[in-house]
Amino acid sequence: MDLFLNLVASGLVIGSIYGIIAIAFAIIFKTTGVLNFAQGEVMMLVAYTSWSLATSLALPFWLLVPVTILAAALIGVVIEFVFIRPMSGQPVFSIVMVTIGLAITLRSLIIMIWGPDAAPFDASVEGGLIEIGPVVLFSEQLFALLLFCAVSAAVYLFFRFTRIGIAMRATAMDETSALLMGVDVRRISSLAWAIAAVVSGLAGVAFAVMFARAPDMWFQGLQSFPAAILGGLDSPLGSGAGGLIIGVIAALSEGYIGHGLKEISGFIVIIIVLMIRPYGLFGEKELERV
Amino acid sequence: MLRLTNVQIMYDRSIEAVRDVSLNVEPGSIVALLGSNGAGKSTLLKAISNVLYPEEGEVINGTLAFEDADLKRIAADEIVRRGIVHVPEGRRLFPLMSVEENLSMGAFLKTQAQMKADLERVYTLFPRLKERRNAVAGYLSGGEQQMAAIGRALMAEPRLLMLDEPSLGLAPQIIDQIFETIVALNKEGRMSILLVEQNASLALDVADYGYIMENGRVVLDGPARDIAGNDDVKEFYLGFGESGSRKNYREVKHYKRRKRWLS
Ligand SMILES: Nc1ncnc2c1ncn2[C@@H]1O[C@H](COP(=O)(O)OP(=O)(O)OP(=O)(O)O)[C@@H](O)[C@H]1O
Ligand SMILES: [Mg+2]
Repeated sequence: MDLFLNLVASGLVIGSIYGIIAIAFAIIFKTTGVLNFAQGEVMMLVAYTSWSLATSLALPFWLLVPVTILAAALIGVVIEFVFIRPMSGQPVFSIVMVTIGLAITLRSLIIMIWGPDAAPFDASVEGGLIEIGPVVLFSEQLFALLLFCAVSAAVYLFFRFTRIGIAMRATAMDETSALLMGVDVRRISSLAWAIAAVVSGLAGVAFAVMFARAPDMWFQGLQSFPAAILGGLDSPLGSGAGGLIIGVIAALSEGYIGHGLKEISGFIVIIIVLMIRPYGLFGEKELERV
Repeated sequence: MLRLTNVQIMYDRSIEAVRDVSLNVEPGSIVALLGSNGAGKSTLLKAISNVLYPEEGEVINGTLAFEDADLKRIAADEIVRRGIVHVPEGRRLFPLMSVEENLSMGAFLKTQAQMKADLERVYTLFPRLKERRNAVAGYLSGGEQQMAAIGRALMAEPRLLMLDEPSLGLAPQIIDQIFETIVALNKEGRMSILLVEQNASLALDVADYGYIMENGRVVLDGPARDIAGNDDVKEFYLGFGESGSRKNYREVKHYKRRKRWLS
């Protein structure tokens, strides 16, 4: 029983990372219709940038987070402006190909700038071990869980109540109608990329603090695809929940069945789920207009 | 107020949808734009709002001026800010949002306080929307959707309201209510209105001036009363000929030959 609970807990921790990246993935897909296959790489770039800020400026953690958010937003806006904006009006398929190219470019760029070696990300969230009943977590792991909750709550409130968040949902539903309401649709795309970079970048920092900042971090992004598909690509919160589910299933299957299953279990799950519910667990079914 | 001169519009750089159209809307007037399917009416409204580009449409020639602004050069959001608001064909509500969220989107460029006040005004104008404020827009009836679409446009406080076939698919009582609202907005709110309609008799009834389009061209224009009295219009848009009965297909073809002469 203790093993089970500890596996679930560590599954939730890694699932939080998958989930947050999946939220970012879903935000871009929902508002612009683009599948961003570079989300894991954007996450990695933000984590590396944050690491450099932390080591060179010796920023305390409470200050590092807002600075990272600003840097991430800037990275998101620049990437959108350079790679995505010139593609506007092109078929979605071409834009998706651009994101794949972007993913590979960012991976090489990071190795060119920071080298191929991993380095520890020492942040002051270290508080040692925390025991919750039979479950033992590191403080860094708890930070990842809390970050997931905070990001989910923020994303929910943003899309539900803020004017610009509602406008982003509106643009997703009907771009021409949004234009007729006076929404500057190009700014919406740029904003979606900025938010996605911030959200996934924070997950990258949380991941790097748990393990290390390393040039294979983008791999976490791969697990966010099944998470987002499981939760429904157009539902950021559903995608987040999908991440938790994939994380727990990966941890359990590795703990009870064996090594190697961690990477593929998520994909096995989505194949099964999509056979039953083609729009994901929480996705919105196309609504028939009356 | 709105002045279009010799406007030519193409889709995909190959399909000519509007050809050499000139049209004016004077402040405080209701202008009816009539014509059969595919005449180019909706295309013209999209050009005025500068939202042709998502459909690969482009104004090739001519000028579109609103007061001192060149509408080809300013973006759609700036056009809304200057006071032209467009209720598109088929309502185009945000289907998964509530009625109130749809209305609040109309006030996207307004302050929170203006939005509150305008929401009350729209609810007074359409009490039915207040009852349905939390309903999902996609599940409203056609009439409710049209009210929501007009209400949403009013939230932007238009000076020129463009309506694309507001009567489409609605029951006669609802049409009456919508048209009474349009006239009231014009008379009491001093709002200029550009009204695209298939229902010519209804539109000419409320309009001051009318234009008739065929195959991308304006074939007839004039004061609404003169147009309603025109024999050709009577025959082919108002649905009764000199004998008072609907024309049959053979005579419509004969009209097509005449129409070239008309234009
Ligand atoms: N997106 C588009 N791409 C290519 N051609 C188009 C497009 N939209 C409209 N057209 C063509 O342009 C012409 C004018 O269309 P438009 O929609 O403006 O007509 P309309 O007068 O509004 O007709 P209706 O009364 O049926 O709404 C038609 O021949 C139509 O086929
Ligand atoms: Mg039309």
